[in-house]
Amino acid sequence: MRRTAALIAAALIATGAAAQQHAGLSPLAASPEELRNIQRHGPWPQPVPRDPSNRVSGKAEAIALGRALFFDPRLSPRADLSCASCHLPERTLTDGRERAQGGGPAKPRLDRNTPGLWNVAQGRWFGWDGGSDSLWSFTPRPILHPDEMGASPAHVARLLRDDANLACRYAQAFGRAVPPEADAETALVDAAKALAAYLETLVSGKSAFDEFREALARGDAAAAARYPADARRGLSLFAGKGLCSVCHFGPNFSNGEFHNIGMPHMVEPGRVDPGRHGGIRRVRADKYNRLGAYSDDATRTSGSRTLHLTENHGNYGQFKVPSLRNVALTAPYMHDGRLATLREVVRHYSELDIDRLHQDGDALLKPLRLSDAESEDLVAFLRTLTSRGFPDLNPVTGPCKPQGQR
Amino acid sequence: MKPKRRTAAGLALSALLAASPAAYAACDAGPGVLRGETSKVALAFRTTPPVIKVGELFSLRAEVCPQAGTRVSGLKVDASMPAHKHGMNYQPRVRQTGPGSYAATGLMFHMPGRWQFTFDVETPAGRERIHVDYTAE
Ligand code: HEC
Ligand code: HEC
Repeated sequence: MRRTAALIAAALIATGAAAQQHAGLSPLAASPEELRNIQRHGPWPQPVPRDPSNRVSGKAEAIALGRALFFDPRLSPRADLSCASCHLPERTLTDGRERAQGGGPAKPRLDRNTPGLWNVAQGRWFGWDGGSDSLWSFTPRPILHPDEMGASPAHVARLLRDDANLACRYAQAFGRAVPPEADAETALVDAAKALAAYLETLVSGKSAFDEFREALARGDAAAAARYPADARRGLSLFAGKGLCSVCHFGPNFSNGEFHNIGMPHMVEPGRVDPGRHGGIRRVRADKYNRLGAYSDDATRTSGSRTLHLTENHGNYGQFKVPSLRNVALTAPYMHDGRLATLREVVRHYSELDIDRLHQDGDALLKPLRLSDAESEDLVAFLRTLTSRGFPDLNPVTGPCKPQGQR
Repeated sequence: MKPKRRTAAGLALSALLAASPAAYAACDAGPGVLRGETSKVALAFRTTPPVIKVGELFSLRAEVCPQAGTRVSGLKVDASMPAHKHGMNYQPRVRQTGPGSYAATGLMFHMPGRWQFTFDVETPAGRERIHVDYTAE
């Protein structure tokens, strides 16, 4: 009897159907196809490649300057917002709000949810609409936007020049003094490049899922058995009939592209968020893009994606596929934070309203009609994507020491 | 008189070449070569990198080999995922690198699964369409 049950379970696994974790079944059991699908979500952590469009990418002195700027509210002329006011270290570098809250007396509600910034350098497009093609070219957006930090290039140049500590760090990072007022834009771009160098260092550690994946790869049954059974079943759904990993692809659980999963995209009555449609226009018009004069990549090869970008009618209402690493810590969800819990996200995919999916929405998406137990399993799996450790984010920056001193 | 004769001879020669098996060598199967054909043209190509990675730009070099009597005037390259009813998010650029030889850059498969290349070979008599399947992992 038990043997039969085990055989049936094994057959289910072999056909790639809901792989039932079963008493007596090896914790290593998986069909070759499932095994391959699971292995594709690693290894982790991934190396962070140097960005050729940013000459200070990876440079310690620039990382130090970027770190100082990230936590400095004086970057906004009202001194009321730093990057860390919305990307809070204690909240996995997001803010827990549905939509971000801007600066100034009005504290306007912005259009979109604040994404966490851990592992952000794994992306290729930045912002929910992918309106920026590099980390550094994204950064002027919050700095300059009147509803966010509301700064001008001149303000940024002045801050860098007038603060002895920042001026010293700037000189160490860029090998020259802060550009004069007349060239404030260069100072802004440099600040953006230093911030990007800092953001590149935000890499989170291994999760329970990574440990399971590695145990599977080495055939270590004892280690694999430590992975919770519900998460294991959820993983089979995720990489199997749920088709989640088709979009949430690879080690960072994102293919880096844009899809329409049928989320409403009304910002307020009468105004919609065009998503990728707007993002393509934005990145093409962006003077800071990888093809523009401010890129440090003389060959412009790192701008190939931007060069080859094409618009199609499906772009309307598409948003960037978010990474799912640490997703249990970054509620609420989606580009406008309209889903409060992972349970609600799973319900969305389970009950998907086909009519609401744009006509050109992904034909791949079908309502999954998951049972309650299956939904719980999927959520349990998503929870195992939380890193066991995050490097310490210490907002306190000591005084800048002249080069050569320690 | 003389130059004209040479042209005629040249034409005859190229027709002969096109009809002879030698002219097809460029479109033959081989390691790493993907190919497809219609009754009028054969096409063979290699991608760089040879194994296409999901989410990474790739390029390809294609050879187009017409049957006798067909002349090739251009090539268009595209790809889509038939099951998902969408194409690529990037627009490849194709340039001719020699007689019947083309190079395309800026292709990207952004999801794993079955993709289909579409090659439109332009001839004076119209378009010859060749589909070649590829499964990206
Ligand atoms: C008022 C809140 C707020 C402030 C201040 C803020 N951000 Fe953000 N951040 C957001 C929101 C909201 C988004 C999503 C924007 C979009 O999609 O248009 C975002 C997106 C990002 C992204 C893109 C992430 C991705 O995965 O695409 C980066 C990088 C980023 N912010 C860095 C910064 C830096 C650096 C600063 C300081 C210079 C900063 N942010 C200041 C709210 C804020
Ligand atoms: C067709 C591509 C696609 C598929 C398939 C897909 N997703 Fe998503 N996912 C997205 C996109 C795009 C978003 C962001 C949508 C938005 O903000 O409007 C998203 C958002 C999410 C989020 C919210 C993350 C955050 O930080 O806000 C979670 C969780 C999630 N997906 C889990 C899943 C699960 C589980 C499955 C399988 C049942 C799945 N996804 C299948 C494209 C996809």
